[in-house]
Amino acid sequence: MNALLIAHNTFREAVRDRVLAGLVVAGFALLALTRIASPLAMGEDLRLTVDLGLSGITWLGMIVVLMVGSSLVAKEIDRRTIFNLLSRPLPRSVYLFGKWAGLAGALSLVALVLAAALGAVVLLMGHAEYLPSIAQAAYLACLELAVVTSLAVLFSALSTPVLSALYTLGLFLAGQWCEDLRRFATQAPEGLRTLLETVANLLPNLPLFDIRTIAAGAQTTSPEHLALATVYAALYSGCVLLLGSAAFESRDFK
Amino acid sequence: MAVRTVGLTKEYRHPWTMKVTPGLTDVSFEVRRGEIFGYLGPNGAGKTTTLKILTGLLKPTRGRAWMLGTPVEEVSSRRRLGFLPEQPYFYDYLNGVEYLEFVARLSGLGGREAGEAARRWLGRVGLGDRARLVLRKYSKGMLQRLGLAAAMVHEPELLILDEPMSGLDPFGRRDVRDLILEQNERGATVMLSSHILPDVEALCDRVAIVLRGRLERTATVGELVEGGTPRIELRVAGTPVVELPATLQGVLERRTSGGDTVFTLHDPARQQEAIAWLVAQRLEIRSVTPVRGTLEDLFMAAAEGAAIHASVERRSA
Amino acid sequence: MSTLVWELAPVRRRMLLAWAGAIVLGAAAFQLAAYAARTLPARPPFEELAYYPSGQALRPATLGHAETAADLAWLRAVQYYGEHRRSDLRFLQLEHVFDVLTSLAPGFESPYVFGAFALAQEGRDFEAAERLLRKGIERNPASGRLAFELGFLHYVRPGGRDLHAAAEWFERSTHLPGHPPTAARFAAFARQHSGNLLVALALWNQVRETTDNRFLRDIAEREVLRIQEAIATGRREHAVRRLTTPQVLLLPQ
Repeated sequence: MNALLIAHNTFREAVRDRVLAGLVVAGFALLALTRIASPLAMGEDLRLTVDLGLSGITWLGMIVVLMVGSSLVAKEIDRRTIFNLLSRPLPRSVYLFGKWAGLAGALSLVALVLAAALGAVVLLMGHAEYLPSIAQAAYLACLELAVVTSLAVLFSALSTPVLSALYTLGLFLAGQWCEDLRRFATQAPEGLRTLLETVANLLPNLPLFDIRTIAAGAQTTSPEHLALATVYAALYSGCVLLLGSAAFESRDFK
Repeated sequence: MAVRTVGLTKEYRHPWTMKVTPGLTDVSFEVRRGEIFGYLGPNGAGKTTTLKILTGLLKPTRGRAWMLGTPVEEVSSRRRLGFLPEQPYFYDYLNGVEYLEFVARLSGLGGREAGEAARRWLGRVGLGDRARLVLRKYSKGMLQRLGLAAAMVHEPELLILDEPMSGLDPFGRRDVRDLILEQNERGATVMLSSHILPDVEALCDRVAIVLRGRLERTATVGELVEGGTPRIELRVAGTPVVELPATLQGVLERRTSGGDTVFTLHDPARQQEAIAWLVAQRLEIRSVTPVRGTLEDLFMAAAEGAAIHASVERRSA
Repeated sequence: MSTLVWELAPVRRRMLLAWAGAIVLGAAAFQLAAYAARTLPARPPFEELAYYPSGQALRPATLGHAETAADLAWLRAVQYYGEHRRSDLRFLQLEHVFDVLTSLAPGFESPYVFGAFALAQEGRDFEAAERLLRKGIERNPASGRLAFELGFLHYVRPGGRDLHAAAEWFERSTHLPGHPPTAARFAAFARQHSGNLLVALALWNQVRETTDNRFLRDIAEREVLRIQEAIATGRREHAVRRLTTPQVLLLPQ
């Protein structure tokens, strides 16, 4: 299928670009750092390792999304490689979807590699009970990155790389505050409350993908939560990519 | 009909000033199946705009176009199309085989078929010995060849080539000419735009000339050339200082070429008169050559005509 | 309706379909987000705004990585304690530091414990210590460990130990998960409410043996030595008095 071809090509580009390899190295360095800092943690070094390891996966992934994702389509338009593709029987929506799938796939690979490294470290520290929570947290991180990548692809199709990165970063930050918005809404007067709740539901609900708090205590979350998060990620990404397709259809490539 | 356009118009509207800049105005032409069609015009005339509309990269403001019977807005119209864009760029990290296989599969070839076609075509354009080289390291000429291969790898029925000879040395241009002829013999229709007029003259069955967004003329190369003005060139040794006779003023021109002087006679009927005058001046006549009108002349004439046309429009506006 | 869509120019048609799809998926995502907010278990609770405003304000700034920020704050708190322990023995910021830390990560139990003991023993501020542990218990009502530690705190309070409160908390902890196996025994001892130095000694020994926290171990060491010395020199009264009357230790350790 054409979408798979584009996805595979995007994946290949991302992997061969040194950025991804650099990020994996950075992730390993972070893990090493937590081990070195462990005496300072006064017995809490396991917690420190798990927290930093899991946070690192999301933060490093976000860096890739901002650096690579936000120029993903814009770069192809700029360098005109896109002419070679869109002059073939390839619908523009399929193209966008393929770009998204390729990058999200590459990021998931990085996340899994880093999660495996974290799991290995934790195992060596003799705490195998953390492995299920690490696995769950890593899976949810993959979903979170997929959602943010879809936003990056949307903006990349409409705008320049710099602006696209800014918009994506902005929505990422705003998405982190969904819960705070809802909490604030419960204390707000009636009209404002509905508005705030609506905004909170429109923003990407990123806290849904965050179980770092309970993973720090080696606890896991319910299958219902995982299923909900998966469906939400699919729906939200799908919506964003379709919006991108609608806008992309009418775009002229001078 | 391989390609058909009716009233194709493209206008650019500035987002803030609302000023409208015309790109193409009311372009209508047809490309018959099996022919090689040339699309000529100076930079900015609208050649690339037309080709981009045909291949779905631009949306026309007005008018319609069809490729192989299907409207160009349908994605399926590009199924049997091979397109070479102007100055093609590719992915840095792929090598030649990977890229050709990728685009072949996008155009509908199956997995193994695509791989074989990719390797075959890479060899065909002379890049077979560097199959593993990444595209980042390709020279301009190599990129051009790869672009051609990418346009032809899936054996399309219609080839649209924007400046296929650009960036190539004379050997390369000859190879491309052969490639195009070969594809045409296979049954493909070719529409190409070019600046290199001798190549167009040699290749094309019919030619359209586009100027300032308008289609000025469409005709066979033969028709265009026959309608052109024949001349006679009289080559004379050295660079003598002579004054042109009053009788031949206006039909005789001189210029230097190499160490010689060339007198161009625009009225072949007065050939004997010119020769007699040269002899009387005691000039050594090296050669007398009739020259057929070339496409270049036609191009210039059409350009001049368009300029006159435009100035007339301006005055009456 | 569908024939109408198909009669549109292909580009318009594709755009319309894309918009329609986006709206459908978007609406579904919207509903799902609202559903998730209603049904999924609430994440660890926040402070009431009136109580600890600084922690509350800080949490959104950590952008979902409050646990990691808490870990880094823990490192900082430990460092702060260590620096001042070595130098001027003035722990003016100690309460605030631990307050912020525990606001960021309410489920992180060690700061409550270490903070409370550092505040009580070194910072000479029993009220602050108790506040901190009570905050921990409020946020983690099912924590046997924290309940036990509060009992311990009451038992060894310098200058005025509250055996009644200690016994209560020891007992409560026995009903909650995570309490030390000795909790019941200590509850019994506290009920005996004598100036039982051996109990205090046993409590401090337990800390010294089990904690990974070097500083907490040092605090425990000092207390153990002090009690042992008191028992050895027969200056039991001095030790008991120290435990029962408000007194500020004049000798730096």
